[in-house]
Amino acid sequence: MTESFLLFTPADLAAIAPELVLAGAGSLIVLLEAFAPRARGWFATLSVAAVAGSLYFLLRAPEGAFFGGRLETSALTTIVGLLLGASAVVAILVAKPYLVKTGEEKGEFYALLIWGHLGVSLMTRGTDLLVVFIGLETLSLAFYVLAAIFRTIPASSEAGLKYFLTGAFGSAFTIYGIVFLFGKSGSVRIDGLTLPGLAEDPLVMFALLLLLVGFGFKMSLAPFHAWAPDVYQGMPTPAVAYLSVAPKAASVLVLFRVFAAAFESGLPDRLRTGVAALAILSMTLGNVVALAQRDIKRLLAYSGIAHMGYVTIALAVFGREALAAVVVYFFAYLFSNAGAFAAVAALYRDETKPHPVGLLAGEGRRSPFAAGVLALCLFSLAGIPATAGFIGKFFVFKAAVDEGFYVLAIIGVVNSLISIGYYLKVVYILYMREPVEPEAPPSLAPGDRLALGLCAAGILLLGIFPSSLWNAARHAAEGLSFLSP
Amino acid sequence: MDLLLGNHILTAVVFLPTAGAVLLLLFPKSRPKAAAGFALAVSVAEFLLSLPLWARFDANASGFQFLERADWIPALGISYTLGIDGISLLLLLLTTLLTPVSLLYSITHVTKSVRAFSIAFLVLETGMIGSLVALDLALFYVFWEVMLVPMYFIIGIWGGARRIYAAMKFFLFTMAGSLLMFIAILYVAARHRAITGEWSFLLTDLYGLSLDAPTQTLLFAAFALAFAIKVPVFPLHTWLPDAHTEAPTAGSIILAGVLLKLGVYGYLRFAIPLFPDAALAAAPWLGLLGIIGVIYGAFVAYAQKDMKRLVAYSSVSHLGLVVVGVGAFTTTALSGAVLQMVNHGLSTGALFLLVGVLYERRHSREIAAFGGIAAVVPVTTALFVIATLSSIGLPGLNGFVGEFLILLGTWTSPHRWWAVVAATGVVLSAVYMLSLVQRVFWNPLDQEENRQLPDIRKSELLAAAALVAAMVWIGVRPNDVLDKLRPSIEAVRGSLVERAAPAQAENRP
Repeated sequence: MTESFLLFTPADLAAIAPELVLAGAGSLIVLLEAFAPRARGWFATLSVAAVAGSLYFLLRAPEGAFFGGRLETSALTTIVGLLLGASAVVAILVAKPYLVKTGEEKGEFYALLIWGHLGVSLMTRGTDLLVVFIGLETLSLAFYVLAAIFRTIPASSEAGLKYFLTGAFGSAFTIYGIVFLFGKSGSVRIDGLTLPGLAEDPLVMFALLLLLVGFGFKMSLAPFHAWAPDVYQGMPTPAVAYLSVAPKAASVLVLFRVFAAAFESGLPDRLRTGVAALAILSMTLGNVVALAQRDIKRLLAYSGIAHMGYVTIALAVFGREALAAVVVYFFAYLFSNAGAFAAVAALYRDETKPHPVGLLAGEGRRSPFAAGVLALCLFSLAGIPATAGFIGKFFVFKAAVDEGFYVLAIIGVVNSLISIGYYLKVVYILYMREPVEPEAPPSLAPGDRLALGLCAAGILLLGIFPSSLWNAARHAAEGLSFLSP
Repeated sequence: MDLLLGNHILTAVVFLPTAGAVLLLLFPKSRPKAAAGFALAVSVAEFLLSLPLWARFDANASGFQFLERADWIPALGISYTLGIDGISLLLLLLTTLLTPVSLLYSITHVTKSVRAFSIAFLVLETGMIGSLVALDLALFYVFWEVMLVPMYFIIGIWGGARRIYAAMKFFLFTMAGSLLMFIAILYVAARHRAITGEWSFLLTDLYGLSLDAPTQTLLFAAFALAFAIKVPVFPLHTWLPDAHTEAPTAGSIILAGVLLKLGVYGYLRFAIPLFPDAALAAAPWLGLLGIIGVIYGAFVAYAQKDMKRLVAYSSVSHLGLVVVGVGAFTTTALSGAVLQMVNHGLSTGALFLLVGVLYERRHSREIAAFGGIAAVVPVTTALFVIATLSSIGLPGLNGFVGEFLILLGTWTSPHRWWAVVAATGVVLSAVYMLSLVQRVFWNPLDQEENRQLPDIRKSELLAAAALVAAMVWIGVRPNDVLDKLRPSIEAVRGSLVERAAPAQAENRP
C-alpha cells in the first residue's frame, strides 16, 4: 500500500486505456479547434469514435484490480461503462445539430463533454476514494464550464455559477467525509472500510453520512437537489442529457461500493431509515413540484429528482438484487431521460429563450418522429408497461417487496401515479392542442434522428425483452465482492 | 390452420392487430381511406382467426385450453403463458367482434388523423385480447396497462368537447387502481418464492398458495380496487360517464363493450381464485355495492338529458347487476353474469353506435333535440328499438337470458333479498330506456331540422346488423354459449367452495 502512484506496470496502463483514449481525444479536439478550425465538422464523429474506442478497451480489459488496488475492472464496471458510454453517444449525436442551430459549434463543447465523461468513468472504476474524488472533480470542472458555455445567454451564465457554487459545496462534503475515513481507517481505499468493527465507530458513520450528502448532490437527490432545475434550464440541452444520467449512475454505484465495504450484513437500521427517508422525500418532492412546472427542462429536472428517489429505494433495500435492479433502472432511465432531452433539443427552435411546455403544442402532427419519441420517453418515465421504465420500476419494487419494504414500495407506486399527471400533460400538449409556433419545426438532423431512434429502440427492446439485461446486471452485481448476497 | 400456426393460435390472435398497426406505419398519411380500410381488413381477419377458437374449444374439459408457454424473464419465473377457458373465450370473441364493428362505423365518421386512429385501435385490441388470454400475472399486468395508452389517445384526440378532462380522468382512475395491484402481484410472487423457493408469476402456481386471512384481505383489496374501478363498481364509477360520453363512438363501444368486462373478468380470473377466503368474506359487500350500482345507475340514467350520457349511466346499472351475480356466486348466477357481460357488450355497443349515427346527422345528443323521427329514419329506429329491447331484457333476445339467470342464481344463493332489490333494476331499465325511445323516436315531430335527417348508411347498417344478429342468436340459442361456459364456471366456483368448506367446518362447534 506504500507503493507510489508513479510506479505502474503495462497491465495498469492497459487497464486505464479507456480513460487515456478519452483524455487524448479531448485534447486532440481542443488542438484542432485552435489550429485547424476547418475540422469542426468532424468533431462529433471524432468524439463518438473516442467514446466507442474507450468502450472497446473497456470491454477488452482483463478483469481485476490495478494501480495497487486503486482501480478495478469487473463485470460491474463494464456494464456501467456501457451505460455511461451510451449516454455520452446520445449527447454527442444531439450536440452537433444543436450547436449548429445555436451558432456555437466549437470544439470546446465536445472536449469538455469527453473529459467529463472521463471523470465519470473514473468514478465508477475507482476503488480508492481519492481516485473517485478526482473523477468527481474532473466531471464537475468540465460541466461547470459546459453549463456556462453560452456566454451571451444570461440563463447559461447563471446556470454555470449556480452549478459551480453548489457543486463545490457538495465536493466539500465528499472530501470532508473522505478525510474522516482516512483518519479512522488509515487508508483512502474503499476496502480499508472492511476492517472489523470500524463501521460501529460514530465518526465513521458521520463520514459515511457526509459521503451520502456529497454524492446526493451529484444525484440531485432531495434535499440536495435545488441546483438541478436552474442548471438544467440554462445548460445546453445535449449536456443535460448526459449530466442527468451518467453522473447520477456513477454516484449511486460509489455509494453502493462504500456501504458494501463498510457493512457486511446490510445497512444498519438507522442509516437505512435515513436513506429510506431521503428516497421518500426525493420521490414526493420531485413529483409534486414537477406538477407545477411550465418549462420542460425544469419539469424533467424535477422528474429526475423523483427518479433518484426510486433508485434510492434500492439503496435502502441494499444487497445484490437491489444493485442489479439499480443497473437495470439506470439503463431504462438512460433511454427515457436522455431520449426526452434529445427530443427537447431537437424540437425547440430558439435556445436563447426558456423552453415552455406550451411551445410543444401540436408538434405531434408536425414533427411526428421527435414528438412520438418524446411521448414514448415520457410514458417510459411514467413506468407504463412494455416500456423500459416499467421494467426498471418492476425490479426496484420487486427488490423492495421481496425484502419486506412494503411501505417504500407503496409510496413508490403512489408517486408513480402522481408523476403520470405531469407526463401526460406534456403528451396532451403534444397531441391534443393546436400549434402555437407559426412555422413547423425544421426537419430533423441525422444526428437527432439517430439518437432518438436509438433511445426509442432501447425503450421498447428493454421493455419487451428485459431478461438478458437482468441476467447481465445480476452477474455484474456479484462483482461487488463485499456485498453479501 | 394447424399447419400454419401450430400451437400458436393465441399468439397469432394477440399480435395480429399489432402487426397490422406496424404495417399501417408504412401507409402514406395522404391516403386516409386506404389506412382505414386496411385496419378494418385486419380486424375482420382477426375476427375470422378467432372463430376456430370457438369451434375447437372443448366444452367438456375444464382448465385452460390452447396453452402456450415460453420463458420471458426466467430468473424471476415470469413466463409468456397464454390459455383460455370458457369465460375468456366468450369475452375474446366479443372483443374481436366489436373491434371490426367499431372500425366499420368509424370509416365514415373519423376524418382526423385516420392512420393514427387505426393504429391506436389495433394496439388497443392487442391489449384487450392479451389481458384475456394471459395466464401469468406479470404478463397480464403488462397487457392490462398497455390498453390505457391507446384509449387515452382515442378519447383525447378524437373525443368530444371535454375530451381532455375525460381522457386524463380515465387514465388516472384506472392507473390508481392498478398500481396497488402491481405491488400485490409482486407480494404474491415473493410469497410463492418464500414458500417454495422458486419465483413464479404463473397463475396456476399461485392459485394453490396458502396465505393467512389478514394477508388475503389486503391482497384481495388491492386487486379488487383495480378491478372495481374498471367495472366500475359504485362509488368508483365517476370516470365512466365522462369517458364514455366524451369518447368518439367507436371508443365508447369498446369502453362499454370490452374494457368494463375486463374488470369483472379480473374478479373471476384473479381476485377470487387467488384469495378465496377474502373473496368469500367480501362477497356480501360486493353484492351490496352491485345493488347500489343497479339502482343508482338507473335513477341517474333516467335523469339524463344527453342520450350518450344516459346510455353511459345505464352501463353503471347493468354492470351493477353483473356484480350482484358475481357476489351471489352460485353456478347459475355466475353463468348469468358472464353471459350478461357479453349481452351488455352487444346491446350497449349497438346503442352507442346508433346514438353516434343520430349525432352525426343532427349534431346534437340532447334528447330534447329529437322527437318523432321514427318515420324519418325508420331503419335506425328499428335497430334502436331492438337494441333497447335487448338491453331491457325482453324474452327472445339475449338480455333476458342473462338477467334471468343472474336473478335466478341470486335467489337460490344465501342472499335471496338481493334478487328482489336487483329485480327492480330490471324494471327501472325498462323505464329509462323506453322513455328514451319514446322521447327520441315517437313524440310529435316538432323540430324542423329533424324532417330532413338522412337514414342509416350501408356501412353503419352492416355494423349494427352484426350486433343484432348476435343478440338474436344468443336470445334464441343461449345454450350454445352457456355450454361453453359451464366447466369454467365450475372451476372458478370450485376454487372457492373447496377452500371455503373446511373453513366453515372449522367454524362449526
